[in-house]
Amino acid sequence: MTLRIGMCSHAHGHARAYAACLQRAPDVEAAGVWDDEPDRRDRAAREFGLVPYAALDALLDSGLDGLIVCSANADHRRHVEAAAGRVPYILCEKPIAVTRADAQAMIDVCAAARTRLQIAFPVRFAPAAAETRRLLAQGVLGRVYSAACTNHGTMPGGWFADRAQAGGGAVMDHTVHVIDLLRWFWDTEVTEVYAEIGVGLLHPDLDIDDVGLLSFRLANGAYGTLDTSWSRPPGHRTWGNVTMELVGARGVLTLDAFRQHLTVTNAEAGRTRWQPWGVSPDQGLINDFLDMIRTQRAPSITGRDGLQALQVALAAYESARTGQPVALDQA
Amino acid sequence: MLAVGIVGAGNIAQVHGRCWSRLPVEIRGWFDLAPAAARRSAQRWGGIVHDSLEALIEQCDVIDVCTNVTAHKEPVIAAARQGKAIVCEKPLARTVADCEDMLQVCRAERVPLFVAHVVRFFPQFEAARRAAVEGAVGVPGAMRTVRAFAFPAAPSSPAAQRYADFAQSGGVVMDVAIHDLDFHRWCLGEIDRVFARGLLEAQAPHCDHALISLRFASGAVGHIEASWAHIRGRSRTMLEIAGTAGLIEWDSREPDALELLTDASAELAKPMPLAPPDQPYYKELAHFLHCLERRLPFRVSPRDALMAVKAAQAVLHSIRTGRPVALADFQEPA
Repeated sequence: MTLRIGMCSHAHGHARAYAACLQRAPDVEAAGVWDDEPDRRDRAAREFGLVPYAALDALLDSGLDGLIVCSANADHRRHVEAAAGRVPYILCEKPIAVTRADAQAMIDVCAAARTRLQIAFPVRFAPAAAETRRLLAQGVLGRVYSAACTNHGTMPGGWFADRAQAGGGAVMDHTVHVIDLLRWFWDTEVTEVYAEIGVGLLHPDLDIDDVGLLSFRLANGAYGTLDTSWSRPPGHRTWGNVTMELVGARGVLTLDAFRQHLTVTNAEAGRTRWQPWGVSPDQGLINDFLDMIRTQRAPSITGRDGLQALQVALAAYESARTGQPVALDQA
Repeated sequence: MLAVGIVGAGNIAQVHGRCWSRLPVEIRGWFDLAPAAARRSAQRWGGIVHDSLEALIEQCDVIDVCTNVTAHKEPVIAAARQGKAIVCEKPLARTVADCEDMLQVCRAERVPLFVAHVVRFFPQFEAARRAAVEGAVGVPGAMRTVRAFAFPAAPSSPAAQRYADFAQSGGVVMDVAIHDLDFHRWCLGEIDRVFARGLLEAQAPHCDHALISLRFASGAVGHIEASWAHIRGRSRTMLEIAGTAGLIEWDSREPDALELLTDASAELAKPMPLAPPDQPYYKELAHFLHCLERRLPFRVSPRDALMAVKAAQAVLHSIRTGRPVALADFQEPA
């Protein structure tokens, strides 16, 4: 059966990656695209052969099997609420939303309408991350003491630097990926967060956080830190990273999720960059989403997963405001 | 569903068996001169044990030849005479003359022959070649690869005796450098001449090593280090392609995506996690089936496999004579 998948907005850069993944997946029709910016919609339509829709309602009523929401963070709620009950399966870009109330509302409206909501955490599909989870389940490290994590990136600009649309800067953009991995590795929750957050430290013209350093405790007894800065300059060899050093009673495990690459230097481009040769985590995420639709199963990454990760980012901002650790009641 | 028969039940046959068991084929049978090895393989991966090569070939649509390199010729020719599709482990044969005999029969019988040069299916090598072909470095002018291991088996084992017996294995040039000769040729085209130095005939027991210089018809230069003289647990592979406009690099000694150091091992483990469809051995056999069903040419043509053996024999000749060897004029010593 050919699945008809629609795309709601190309505001988030990941939309282009997901569109390319849809093209590569067998028996999938990338059906249509709507965007509140017509130029962006038409570019996406041309590049990926999608039918452009002038109105979101028309796309939602075009008989879709699934919808990918890649609008600005603050618009996720509006778009997911519009789609719930009209599209049976939704993949929503991370973070799930910008407030706890928005995230909960999205979860509730989808549950009531029997629409299944998956959150896009592609790093779970990086083979090295999946293998890490398997090794940890085998207990290779014994009792785990700590997790020193980074999720560095390039400053994305545009709406990402607009507090109203993004809900925050680097901390909002990056915290959720690593927190989701840690929760997934150990089926655990973050119980306390302390954060140092800097505004315009790396990009002085920005009025939003571009450096974030979270220190946290997990319910499984481990402590850790997460560096979430927009610290990779445009000429850097790669866009950024997701890394972890896990120290345990029996050893040390180092994960560098996007490390499988060639190093390519091009004289004309005037830079050296890393070109991945490994499995695309984005493709893994999209294949998982399509498999959920085909087998009519529950999502592998739920709205609650999205909410729990978001709460850690929100707690980090609160800690930076108060100067004190913030306890999370994650029951 | 196609029925696959596997000839030879050693190490590489276990790798193939695991991959076949995950592909939409039936593993119908095994044949090995050592019946116990065939029995163990059949128990592991399915199929029954045949007491003759002929009986196995008759029962199957595809014959996968996983024997030692000196024992490729007989099953390949027997399978071709019965009109079966053939997978043959690399190198195609121990000598150019044997390769030519095998190709002649396969051509005459019009059977598909796929030689499993697996390096063409390793994702980093595949990506490097694709980037080079797509012009990432402009016109390629220089290329180097390293494939360095310890001697491949414990010195007392039968496998070690086979590897150490030059007449049987062809040493590190036929067993290891053959990968690089094929990969260089895949990236840069026909090899014009070779020059090489190595440990062949140096009386170094359970050890072999070669440094190989290549000149391509395009004018490009290639270098290969192939080794069975490195330290166990510290093997290395690397590649580099340089051109008029850039450079492609990859080295297994760089930090990897996943590294595990535990008290128990005291040795750095670097698992290379890949999704199953991207595992090179799975991918080469899936590629074989894909092309077979659609009557497409294989990524490795029979001539490619022949030319890799010819280049390897020329390398050995160069090591022995201390002279450069032009491939066009090269006559394999009888």
